[in-house]
Amino acid sequence: MSLKEQIKTMNMDEIMEMCIDQEQQAIDLYTMARDQAKDDGARQKFQELIDMETVHKVSLRKFELESYLELPPADLKVTDYLVEPILSDKLTTQEILIIAAKREGKTALMYQDLADHFASDKNLNTFFQMMADEELRHKHDLETEYENEFLQEG
Amino acid sequence: MRRKKPQSFNSTPIKERLIIPRQEMPEQDPLQRSTNFLEVNLGLTPEQAVIEAQRCIECASPTCMDGCPVSIKIPDFIQLICKEDFIGAADKIKEDNSLPAVCGRVCPQETQCEQVCVVGKRFEPVAIGRLERFVADYAMTHGNGSAKSTDKPKPSGQKVAVVGSGPAGLAVASDLIKEGHEITVFEALHEFGGVLVYGIPEFRLPKAILSEEVANLEAKGVKFVKNFIVGRTMTIQELMLDEGYDAVFLGLGAGLPRFMNIPGENLNGVYSANEFLTRSNLMRAYEFPEWDTPLYRAKHAIIVGGGNTAMDAVRTAKRLGADEASIVYRRSEEEMPARNEEIHHAKEEGVEFMNLVNPIEFIGDEQGNVISAKCLRMELGEPDDSGRRRPVPMPESEFTMDVDMVVIAVGNGSNPLISQTTPEIETNKWGNIVADDDGRTSMDGVFAGGDIVSGGATVILAMGAGRKSAAAMNEYLKTKVGSQA
Repeated sequence: MSLKEQIKTMNMDEIMEMCIDQEQQAIDLYTMARDQAKDDGARQKFQELIDMETVHKVSLRKFELESYLELPPADLKVTDYLVEPILSDKLTTQEILIIAAKREGKTALMYQDLADHFASDKNLNTFFQMMADEELRHKHDLETEYENEFLQEG
Repeated sequence: MRRKKPQSFNSTPIKERLIIPRQEMPEQDPLQRSTNFLEVNLGLTPEQAVIEAQRCIECASPTCMDGCPVSIKIPDFIQLICKEDFIGAADKIKEDNSLPAVCGRVCPQETQCEQVCVVGKRFEPVAIGRLERFVADYAMTHGNGSAKSTDKPKPSGQKVAVVGSGPAGLAVASDLIKEGHEITVFEALHEFGGVLVYGIPEFRLPKAILSEEVANLEAKGVKFVKNFIVGRTMTIQELMLDEGYDAVFLGLGAGLPRFMNIPGENLNGVYSANEFLTRSNLMRAYEFPEWDTPLYRAKHAIIVGGGNTAMDAVRTAKRLGADEASIVYRRSEEEMPARNEEIHHAKEEGVEFMNLVNPIEFIGDEQGNVISAKCLRMELGEPDDSGRRRPVPMPESEFTMDVDMVVIAVGNGSNPLISQTTPEIETNKWGNIVADDDGRTSMDGVFAGGDIVSGGATVILAMGAGRKSAAAMNEYLKTKVGSQA
């Protein structure tokens, strides 16, 4: 069953639980990766990602929109065609950025599906659209960082 | 303090100087040079050098020195050329730059000293780089003048280990040997010069030039040790505690190649620019069969990237016999970080430029050899932080082209060996060593500079960082003696 079809069978509590669970999974994943990482740089990067996902979770719990009023930047698609690295304790910062950007992209799609699902409910539609935009913004930031550091073409 | 203006040896009136055309450097014919590895640029003649030097208008407040990361006394050495004292001019440069023949060839002068040359505001700037190269070469072929001097300073009794013999390390060694310290340069490879020898091809920087510069330092008392990997052969702690080095400079460079992480990058025939250039330059594949290093001769080689490394790789592929050699670059030529001269030379030599194209997959045959590249066409979007317009993929623009060799030249990172074996040394999230403006790291007595701190940059910036570190190390060593007295 596709996510769009799944959403149709869920009530609001289940939807919010799914979203919070999605954010929590990301926090757990990045926490595990941070604790296992052997490289200082990788640990720093994972901590940044944990902080970012924690803000998302709080937003979902509070159902707050105030902080997300900017329009999303263009999707650079820098990591869309890259191979997703397998999670391990030896990940490089480059691999972490790929994993994180792809994950933000997938989560943005989930929120976009939810926004479409609630097209007739202005509040919910706006909230999920904002969450989708926020995830896209993070994907953009991660891909910008990736591009600046790993595609110098020097 | 205001700098004293050098004595003028140019009697040409200023107005007349401005109408002297910038002197073109003779170079090998493109057709001829695309089949050999001899140096492309042939250097100014003495007559041309004097004419070019006469273009300098001796500004009251010269800005050229501000554009030089090591603050070479440019107006002074140019006046010595006007006087035809070429050895004196070379010595003047060497007061601030221990590798003038190298910098005269590979420095991006157009974005440094020549960019801020006052003449350049209305006319073509004085060709400072060409003049630097000319006097350095002249000094080398005329016994190197006072640079061969064996006058040695009073020994300080202190030992310094320089890790890495690239531009930063050589700059440190050059400055600190003058202070009487015992200097040993440790090099992991079997030749000295770091990126200058493994990264830059013979046609742009002949190895003989670098060997001569290293020989000069040896003559001054610097010891060079090759095939010595600090972090493996011996750790930094062992160098300091067991071998008695009072200070260590880390100039390891950024030698870890980066890949794109797209499918098919592990196919046969896909190289990092580092591997490709190292095989050709350091392992002398370009002198096959005299040197027995294999390197594939391609029918169609594509080089992914738009920097100087990409230009070196594509021109090398062409010289090694590739039927077609192409640059594949995500942005347009305007955004290319390579020097204009390198792009111009590559075009003259028949290199094809496929701009606004980005590979997304390499496809192999049953034997695992790369046979084609799947690519997307790109268009330019909004500018990024560097001001370059950011490329974004065009919808439904995918296409495939036949290739049998790919070289990835998208940049380099830091080798993690030192951070893994010396956890006391702080690194940032990119793996670069964290150092202050004077190169001090988080470990007492250990300094660092060049690409290992800044990430991939230019030769002269690495030398500038090395010189700053050398000054700070000298102060550190003096304090150390004081505290032990």
